[in-house]
Amino acid sequence: MLKVTNLHARVDDKAILTGLDLEIGAGEVHAIMGPNGSGKSTLANVLAGRDGYEVTEGTVEYDGQDLLALAPEERARRGVFLAFQYPVEIPGVNNAYLLKAALNAIRAHRGEPELDAFEFLALVKERMELMHMDESFLNRGVNEGFSGGEKKRNEILQMAILEPRLAVLDETDSGLDIDALKVVAAGVNSLRDPERAIVMVTHYQRLLDYIEPDYVHVLSGGRIVKTGDRTLALELEDRGYDWLREAASV
Amino acid sequence: MTTAPATRDQRRLSPAEASFAATWADRGPGNDGATALRARGFAAFEASGLPAGRREAWKYTSLRALARREFRPAGPVRAPRPEDLAALDIEGLDGLRAVFINGRLVPELSDLDGDDGLQIVPLSDALAERGHRALEIAGSIACVDTHPLAALNQAFVGDGVFIGVSPGAAPSRPLHLMFLSLDGGSPVAAHPRVVVDAAPESALVLIEHYTGRGEIRNLTNAVTELRLGHGAVVEHYRLQEEPATGFHIGGLHGWLERDARLISHNLHFGAALARLDVGVSLAEPGAEVVLNGLYLVDGKRHVDNHTRVDHLAPETRSDELYRGVVDDRGRAVFNGKAVVHPDAQKIEAHQSNRNLLLSREAEVDTKPELEIYADDVKCSHGATVGQLDRNALFYLLSRGISRKVARDMLTFAFAETVAVRIPLAAVRRRIEARIAGALPDARMIGHGVEDEA
Ligand SMILES: Nc1ncnc2c1ncn2[C@@H]1O[C@H](COP(=O)(O)OP(=O)(O)OP(=O)(O)O)[C@@H](O)[C@H]1O
Ligand SMILES: [Mg+2]
Repeated sequence: MLKVTNLHARVDDKAILTGLDLEIGAGEVHAIMGPNGSGKSTLANVLAGRDGYEVTEGTVEYDGQDLLALAPEERARRGVFLAFQYPVEIPGVNNAYLLKAALNAIRAHRGEPELDAFEFLALVKERMELMHMDESFLNRGVNEGFSGGEKKRNEILQMAILEPRLAVLDETDSGLDIDALKVVAAGVNSLRDPERAIVMVTHYQRLLDYIEPDYVHVLSGGRIVKTGDRTLALELEDRGYDWLREAASV
Repeated sequence: MTTAPATRDQRRLSPAEASFAATWADRGPGNDGATALRARGFAAFEASGLPAGRREAWKYTSLRALARREFRPAGPVRAPRPEDLAALDIEGLDGLRAVFINGRLVPELSDLDGDDGLQIVPLSDALAERGHRALEIAGSIACVDTHPLAALNQAFVGDGVFIGVSPGAAPSRPLHLMFLSLDGGSPVAAHPRVVVDAAPESALVLIEHYTGRGEIRNLTNAVTELRLGHGAVVEHYRLQEEPATGFHIGGLHGWLERDARLISHNLHFGAALARLDVGVSLAEPGAEVVLNGLYLVDGKRHVDNHTRVDHLAPETRSDELYRGVVDDRGRAVFNGKAVVHPDAQKIEAHQSNRNLLLSREAEVDTKPELEIYADDVKCSHGATVGQLDRNALFYLLSRGISRKVARDMLTFAFAETVAVRIPLAAVRRRIEARIAGALPDARMIGHGVEDEA
């Protein structure tokens, strides 16, 4: 589904990704771990198409297409979804309006009719229940005054409603209490699907107890320096990253 | 032939000034109670002429295009058609209505039968009545020496209304003043004046609504004076939606006594050139003014808001929030001044002006000013000019929303901050529909439907 080859990217003239390779198939769940500042969010942003990131080398193929040639909204309509590490607050636009605008844009792209108000509300309410979110969140400004954990839950709610093909979750587990982590994990697990791929960026092995990944990658110094199964996460918990950094630099 | 010494009389008049002088000469000062007012207004305008860039207050706003036009006197130039009148309605607003066409009251179209305690009288009638309150208030709050266009308005004083609210009265319906500017060949200059006398402990909701039809090239030069007795509360709206070819100049001048409260919403969506001067004097302790402003400026339009609040007494409060969205080659000017006079201790004065620039050719000049001559005061002011928040824009794009819709949503969000401060639901919905532009389901975007009054 996704094939990243020798990706180099820079921000403000600073090279951050330095030859990253990653391949993800439909139905798979991948975890990406790695030290602070190693480039995990950069990779997520490059995939989603944020401006300011300059790809200087390499390719990204998504469903056989050149992903990098597409505008961010085009990527989203084709099923790429980024759950942000720091979701933005947009006071003045309510959550329900954003969800409806996004869902209808994506449905229009798929050639599906717009949902009417009734169908939309039914869908949203069902998914909100799944995320243990109160309906009052619908009428509030997008992320406005949401607690850190509520923002993360709201990201997964959007994912549950938009039903992407490729979801990249950037530290969705950070800032969640134990109960919220279980709720979010259950939400993500319910979206596991043979047609859908999920990439989780995380610092904590605990998330992987709830959402079992097929692969674990270590991103360090702008590259994937090691790939393994979920036992790699346990090893990292034990040993940290230093041994890999040394391995990477030889 | 003799050559008189060069005096200001011989300064070359612009076509506009010459047409004002000719109209004034034709009409004469009259012989009613307004005579002295007109003469004084005309003298002040003759002395100043149309303001030019030499004046600090007109540094960024040029009246050159206006000066080049010749204007004929106020009054309907043609009979209004049903579609003209439809433009006046604000959906869902149930108010008393006074319709003015090119400045002149049209009684047949108006419904002025208010409750007890509310008096609505054509201003010319009020000024003709010996001892009427209108004679006391008109010209006493809007200063002709500092506001040349208010002087011009006063030179022609007569069109407009006097609104009196009796002590303790609170009319049940808002009063909707509809000013319709119609085209009819040569440009018309209208100088309506609204004089409000809100007696102690009274309450009034007043909407001044300026619209027009067609490619008008008219000048609306409208002055409002409000006197609020102790404890009076006036909720005031000035909704300016003139066609993008017209000139709209206005003044809003208030005098507030003990514990009076004025909430004024100044909403500019139209006119090629719009300029509004707001001047509020907080004359006695406990007086409070809230100024709420919103302007959308696109095309090659120009909108200038000048506000001045004088804290003349201790324990007075002012709170001003103006926001503007400037697109295309539009230009916006904001100048907000708060003056805290000596001995006006324990006052609060807050002011904020924020501007959203949507195009590289749009321009904003903003200047908040504080002059403080007392020491125990709480003041804040700030002004910003910025672009759409890139992070928020990316957030919306990353959800599949188109760039155009994302931009409109963020623009809406920016302007909504002002719209939510509008208590009258019918007006707020109209504003929200405007700031939502082409967005679908505009009624759902901000506060959804849960807050319908
Ligand atoms: N706009 C920018 N200008 C300069 N440097 C940037 C910019 N954005 C990111 N960086 C730098 O790029 C590097 C990688 O950042 P990135 O956010 O991808 O790290 P990360 O792996 O997600 O880290 P964390 O685990 O802390 O979230 C960091 O050193 C960061 O400071
Ligand atoms: Mg990160």
